[in-house]
Amino acid sequence: MASQSRPFDIPLVAGRKTPADVTRDICRSLEGKPTLLWWCGFFLALSLLALGLSAVSYEIATGIGTWGVNRTVGWAVGITCFVFWVGIGHAGTLISAILFLLRQRWRTAVNRSAEAMTIFAVMCAGIFPVIHLGRPWMAYWLFPYPNTRGPLWVNFRSPLVWDAFAIGTYFTISLVFWYVGLIPDLATVRDQLRGGFRHKLASLLSLGWTGSFRTWHRYESVYLMLAGLATPLVLSVHTIVSWDFATGVIPGWHATIFPPYFVAGAIFSGVAMVLTLVLVARKTMRLEDYITARHIDVMCKLVLLTSGIVAIAYATEFFTALYSANAYEEFAFLNRAFGPFGWTYAIMVSCNVLVPQLLWFRRVRSNLWVVFAISILINIGMWFERFVIILTSLHRDFLPSSWTSYRPTPIELCMLLGSFGLFFTLFLLFCRLLPVVAMAEVKGVLHVGHEKEPATGTVTPRPGVEEWEIANMGLPGGAA
Amino acid sequence: MAQRKAQHYWRSWEEGPGASEFVQISRDEFAESLDRPTEQFSRRSFLKAAGFTATVTALAAGCSHAPVEKAIPYLIQPEEIVPGVSYFYATTCGGCSAACGVLAKNRDGRPIKLEGNPEHPLSRGGLCVVGQASLLNLYDSHRLKGPLREGQESTWAEADAHIRAQLETIRASRGAVRVLSGTVSSPTLRAQIQTFLASFRDARHIVYDALSSSAIADAHQATHGERRVPHFRFDKADVIVSFDADFLGTWISPVEFTRDYASGRRLDTLPPRMSHHTQVESRLSLTGAKADQRIRVSPAENAAWIESLAACLAKTAGAALPFALNGEVGPHNSIIEQLARRLWQARGRCLVVCGSQEPRAQILVNLINHLLGNYGTTLDWNAPSQQKAGNDCELEALSEELDRGRVAALFLLHVNPVYELPNGPAFRAALGRVPLVVNFADRWEETSSLSRFLCPDHNPLESWGDAEAVRGVYGLCQPAIRPLGNTRSVLESFAAWSGDTRSAYELVRAHWRENIFPHAGNAGEFDAFWDRAVETGFVSTAVQATNAKPFSFSALENLPKISTPAGLSMVLYPKVAMLDGRFAENPWLQELPDPISKVAWDNYACFSPAAAQRLGVQEGDVVRLETTTEGGATTSTELPAFLQPGQHDQVVAVALGYGRQGTERFANAGPKWLFARSGVGADGRVGKNAAPFVTLRDGYLQYVRGGIRVTSTGRRSALASTQGHHSLTMPKDLPLVGGQHRDIVRETTLPALLAGDFKAAPSPAKINGLWPTDHPYTGHRWAMAIDLTACTGCSGCVVACQAENNIPVVGKDEVLRHREMHWMRIDRYYAGEDEVDVVHQPMLCQQCDNAPCETVCPVIATVHSAEGLNQQIYNRCVGTRYCANNCPYKTRRFNWFNYMREDALQNLALNPDVTVRSRGIMEKCSFCVQRIEAARIEARRSDKLIADGQIQTACQQSCPAQAIVFGDLNDPSSRISKMVQGPRRFAVLEEFNFRPAVNYLAVVRNRDASGKSPSEDRSNG
Amino acid sequence: MNDRLITIVLLVGLAFSLGVFAVQAGSWHLPGNQQGYEPIQPIAFSHRLHAGEMQLGCVYCHSAAEVSRHAGIPPASTCMNCHRYVSAPLGVLRAEDDLAKKENRKPRSIVSPEIQKIYAALGLDDQLARDPQKNLAPIAWTRVYRLPDFVYFNHSAHVNVGVACQQCHGPVETMDRVKHVSDLTMGWCVNCHRTANAAGVATKPVHPSTDCSTCHY
Repeated sequence: MASQSRPFDIPLVAGRKTPADVTRDICRSLEGKPTLLWWCGFFLALSLLALGLSAVSYEIATGIGTWGVNRTVGWAVGITCFVFWVGIGHAGTLISAILFLLRQRWRTAVNRSAEAMTIFAVMCAGIFPVIHLGRPWMAYWLFPYPNTRGPLWVNFRSPLVWDAFAIGTYFTISLVFWYVGLIPDLATVRDQLRGGFRHKLASLLSLGWTGSFRTWHRYESVYLMLAGLATPLVLSVHTIVSWDFATGVIPGWHATIFPPYFVAGAIFSGVAMVLTLVLVARKTMRLEDYITARHIDVMCKLVLLTSGIVAIAYATEFFTALYSANAYEEFAFLNRAFGPFGWTYAIMVSCNVLVPQLLWFRRVRSNLWVVFAISILINIGMWFERFVIILTSLHRDFLPSSWTSYRPTPIELCMLLGSFGLFFTLFLLFCRLLPVVAMAEVKGVLHVGHEKEPATGTVTPRPGVEEWEIANMGLPGGAA
Repeated sequence: MAQRKAQHYWRSWEEGPGASEFVQISRDEFAESLDRPTEQFSRRSFLKAAGFTATVTALAAGCSHAPVEKAIPYLIQPEEIVPGVSYFYATTCGGCSAACGVLAKNRDGRPIKLEGNPEHPLSRGGLCVVGQASLLNLYDSHRLKGPLREGQESTWAEADAHIRAQLETIRASRGAVRVLSGTVSSPTLRAQIQTFLASFRDARHIVYDALSSSAIADAHQATHGERRVPHFRFDKADVIVSFDADFLGTWISPVEFTRDYASGRRLDTLPPRMSHHTQVESRLSLTGAKADQRIRVSPAENAAWIESLAACLAKTAGAALPFALNGEVGPHNSIIEQLARRLWQARGRCLVVCGSQEPRAQILVNLINHLLGNYGTTLDWNAPSQQKAGNDCELEALSEELDRGRVAALFLLHVNPVYELPNGPAFRAALGRVPLVVNFADRWEETSSLSRFLCPDHNPLESWGDAEAVRGVYGLCQPAIRPLGNTRSVLESFAAWSGDTRSAYELVRAHWRENIFPHAGNAGEFDAFWDRAVETGFVSTAVQATNAKPFSFSALENLPKISTPAGLSMVLYPKVAMLDGRFAENPWLQELPDPISKVAWDNYACFSPAAAQRLGVQEGDVVRLETTTEGGATTSTELPAFLQPGQHDQVVAVALGYGRQGTERFANAGPKWLFARSGVGADGRVGKNAAPFVTLRDGYLQYVRGGIRVTSTGRRSALASTQGHHSLTMPKDLPLVGGQHRDIVRETTLPALLAGDFKAAPSPAKINGLWPTDHPYTGHRWAMAIDLTACTGCSGCVVACQAENNIPVVGKDEVLRHREMHWMRIDRYYAGEDEVDVVHQPMLCQQCDNAPCETVCPVIATVHSAEGLNQQIYNRCVGTRYCANNCPYKTRRFNWFNYMREDALQNLALNPDVTVRSRGIMEKCSFCVQRIEAARIEARRSDKLIADGQIQTACQQSCPAQAIVFGDLNDPSSRISKMVQGPRRFAVLEEFNFRPAVNYLAVVRNRDASGKSPSEDRSNG
Repeated sequence: MNDRLITIVLLVGLAFSLGVFAVQAGSWHLPGNQQGYEPIQPIAFSHRLHAGEMQLGCVYCHSAAEVSRHAGIPPASTCMNCHRYVSAPLGVLRAEDDLAKKENRKPRSIVSPEIQKIYAALGLDDQLARDPQKNLAPIAWTRVYRLPDFVYFNHSAHVNVGVACQQCHGPVETMDRVKHVSDLTMGWCVNCHRTANAAGVATKPVHPSTDCSTCHY
């Protein structure tokens, strides 16, 4: 009974691991030869990447005409992918930064891979705005820099400029945050490995980490500060991305609800992607003890929550449109749902609103295969959400004379696949080269120390994150 | 050493023959000797080091100088030419026989744009699609470079020698010499041909028009005793009734008629004047789209309607007719009587025209006009039109002669009978039996490829000549450029063969001195007269009033029987761009969307939606159209189906002028890339030739063919349409609460307007945004007003804009992908179901004050000017396409590729004052800012202010209806400021507060205040 | 030994390139900026002599500048206005005359090699009459000032409001060979427009626009 009232006593790591076990388990995957499964995945991802690269180079050499876009539909798959990938990124930051500040200890097992995902996703996202330019070689004009043109600066009213800033910042912060988090583990790896390339790499990257108390102290304060920096980005980046549409006059774009709607959607899609990834990592790299059913369960709940927010956003959009009594606005949304591209809308709603409702049931949440399937569906659904917003608003706007349709060309589809190729190539490499679970943090949440704990609840000192936090923030360590 | 080498088997090249140093190396035990390393060094490393040095130096010195460019001035500069300054030659359009006046804008020695000549008494500044595009024909690399003999390159001397020799023998043997031509509007050439033919015993000049109006002339022969096409004066008509005559689109002289028609419908004058226009037709023509009352009849009914109208009027006029007219047209007498009443009230101020080729119909129309006393008022009999001189009877006679092989010499002048005549194949065969066939065609086409001698004529812009549109109005053609090839004016050719060595210039001048100058009335020196003519491009002389013979009722006694096509009948019509297909190789004309169907790059079989449903045909289905002649011969073709609202259900309409030889060149007119599709049909040509369905029946080319069988082929073919069938109301599949109407085009009726209770839109001041307007407009404030009542949708402006602004042609595939580049488009909207009302709305960049495009461009490539222009800066654009997405009017165009011209020679037509856009950047209408800047600089130079009307945009300049007005809103006295005061003014999507600088004037229809079209559904009559 | 030689060569090379760098550094500028460009022309025409010493006005030869976008390069016929009579420097002609007097013979006609090029281009014989044997050979000058195609600079607009040629082209009347003095960047144009807007041109108020479409369309 007592243990129920003390959440920290529910083990975050199964099988009574000792710190030594943790190190061994995590580093195992770094030492041994990669599994056949890994090789297959890697080869597949790499070939997709190659496909994407060739498509992009052809497009840049020939012109945007190689896409299916036209005089009315100026953006389609390209920008969809951009928004999609940016969205994916958000969950990483959410888990690593916000949940850290909220001291959700369960995050320790997944935050490393989540952050990695963020970085790779933002890399994928960053590519699309550039290649979708008519003259990509002029992309640097989007940044303000002193010039001989009078001078001529960028248009600070344009959301695209802010996109460039936002994405840039986001990538930098995430990268630093991730790397700082990696340092202690890299040190561990350095000590674990005997020679070899990985050893060299690890010792180089761990910046001569000693693990002394002072080192830890500095590390923690930096980590906390970075977390603080990263947190607002979760809100700001996708808000800015949503401006790309919200500041437009096109019915279906011109909506003030977009920022919260987009942020929620981003987290929604991101968590779904995290689920997908950790479920795979967990199986393939035998990390069941670290990424336990509980982690999955909690993330499912997060999905459920964000799905709810997204659902409300969909409803609100429609209501506002119909309530506005603006013929163009009304038409835009009716056309979205029942027009030629109604099927995309159907996919979006069913994947993002209907399917996640299954997660209300504990039995569903505990069945990892179902969860995996749901997470995939949500990824699909969220891609289509962006596609719906962009395409159905554009293809039939104010003047019926310029209504058109849209069909992606193989070139576009190859680029879509290519982005996934890039993402998974990087992720698989990450699994091989770096510890996928934050060992130092996990060690902090081990059950070690709890067993001999007197009922009074005074805490025996343990190395690790929470310990230090609790000490600093003057909070009753572990007390309920 | 030598022997040693001899028996030495070598393992590798350097060890073997090519040797020396390898042998050395291999001999030295110790590599560290003194000399060899240096040698080795000097060979390899020195190169490396030197290479490094060279590279670095290059890098250091490099990219500081652009490639050297040469500037080569004239040695002796012609005094009228100043590099970079344009000058105009007044000349006459060679596009068709309408002979409108044009000004050829020349720059650095070559014409770059044609503009209507505002002084010309007929066209008065207007210019049509074909006229605008005819510039490209000059720079067509497929034009013949010189004379051909038996298909072999030849010289003029040789060709002349042979031709004259043959002519001698023919003269001796009294062989028959025939000149077959289209309408020759040049009096000099007519005279020249006569003098040439005079030297033969049996010689005739036969004239026919592929788009014939022969019946009109013959009808007047019958009723007025003289074969004439009177000069129709739509400006003098208050009531216009047209039976299947597309006089605003393609009939006789569209530019002039549009101009007159518009001047008869001026609402800005006081009191407003608006003629009433009734169109009785079977297909939806450009003219029908404009009509106040439109009545759909099948071609068979057409004549019946005319007859009953005649009967009705005869009754009213109390005229005694020698025979009874059948006044019955079933249940529709009420409409007839209404028509008759309206006409009778406007006696002498009305006009009834008929496009039919049925002599009976035409004679009855003459009767009607006679009864209404229109001869001498709205039909100018003294100065008849010279624009359609064709005589189909003679054509028939000629074909007989040819079949019997009686013709010894045939001269083909600007006609393509093998292609455009129904009996083309027979003609082809007959040509083989003519000993001497001389063709003046400027290219290798259906007929010319069969001619023994090809004596290519100059392009109209290369040669001296003249043209008589209506009697007494003489246009002068003067060369605007030296001939590009070794071609020769027809005048000179005929002169040469009749032993006259004068040049075209001398010939024209001489003819004018003798025949035109005397009538000019102004007693002066001929040279002065001539110079004036060369300067203005035309002269009008007094025409001696020929005493019109009284209307001979005897003509009515034995009226020719009418042939009523049974069942589904095919109506063959010309498109405004393609006409009879004479310029099918002109990319601008091919890419122009038809004003009604909005389809480019193809012809197709138009069905009314009801008919299509009946036949089970979907749009895009390739259908097989078949018909059988009395002889049992079957004519057939396969065309994609197109659903045309407003067309009669018993009609399938097909455009002429397609499937021309030479259009193969457009197979890849568009950009070349991985998934590009061919721009031509399966037979390698653009569209299908419908001429075989034309019939030459009892002396008349008939463009209606009965008994058409339609079968589906099961194949489909996409039509390159730039606009779907979207009406202004919401699509049927998406009904709205109350099914709102898109308030994009506003219209009213004349009574409502006169009553003064019509206001198209709240005055812009009423709308207040959240923010104060951020553009003070202290200087000029450019704006445009487009009068939708005047606009006929003829699309002349579209091509004018294309010519002025270097707009590329993208080809069929790109149009199919909705990537046409026209800056100006004509939006066409339908209202109603079967009896459709049509509105045309020219849509171009609206130059909004609160431009949505401007806020979103990240690099400030599109910004607002201090004078209200929405500027697009090509060289700054990076191509995000955000502006285009955010443009509510979708008037922005993106360069998806680098668009090369299909014909590189045509780059000579590029306007040097407008940047040629490269790939990856956005472009759009600029209000012809290059003209604004030119005017500003000129004003500054001459220290004057820019006068109102001094700046004319290309579209405005070309508009025959003068629907477009451009000017300065800050000048209260300017025409534009006055126009935007009126009640008809509105702006598209005004309620969103984009504050466009383009204002529209509402459509006004001359109907009863209820606004409902008086015509009733006659689809199954 | 070998290595040392390589090192020496590389060092020499490096020193040389550094030298080039140093030279360049003075006149270094962004790509496309032609400042300092001073090409050799097919005829060694000296603006210093004509515009400077002889005091010829710029628009005497570049007459198009007053009416056209382009200032234009004068046709050879313009040169002949004077060089029909002036075929060589005065001193040389005098010397020849004196010499001729001494040797009491008719003075030989002397044509300076540069002016001879004009006669050659126009296909003139030594009596300066058109020689049908010779064919016309237009003079291919090397262009010094050049703007990108998307810039529509108009000479007449500037000349007619009184902007001195030297303001953009520098003291041409002191140059034997024309040198590209201004950098012709957009900033350079715009700043001049701004100052002219404030101060006018030669105290005459003019209001040059700084709208993009003044130059770009």
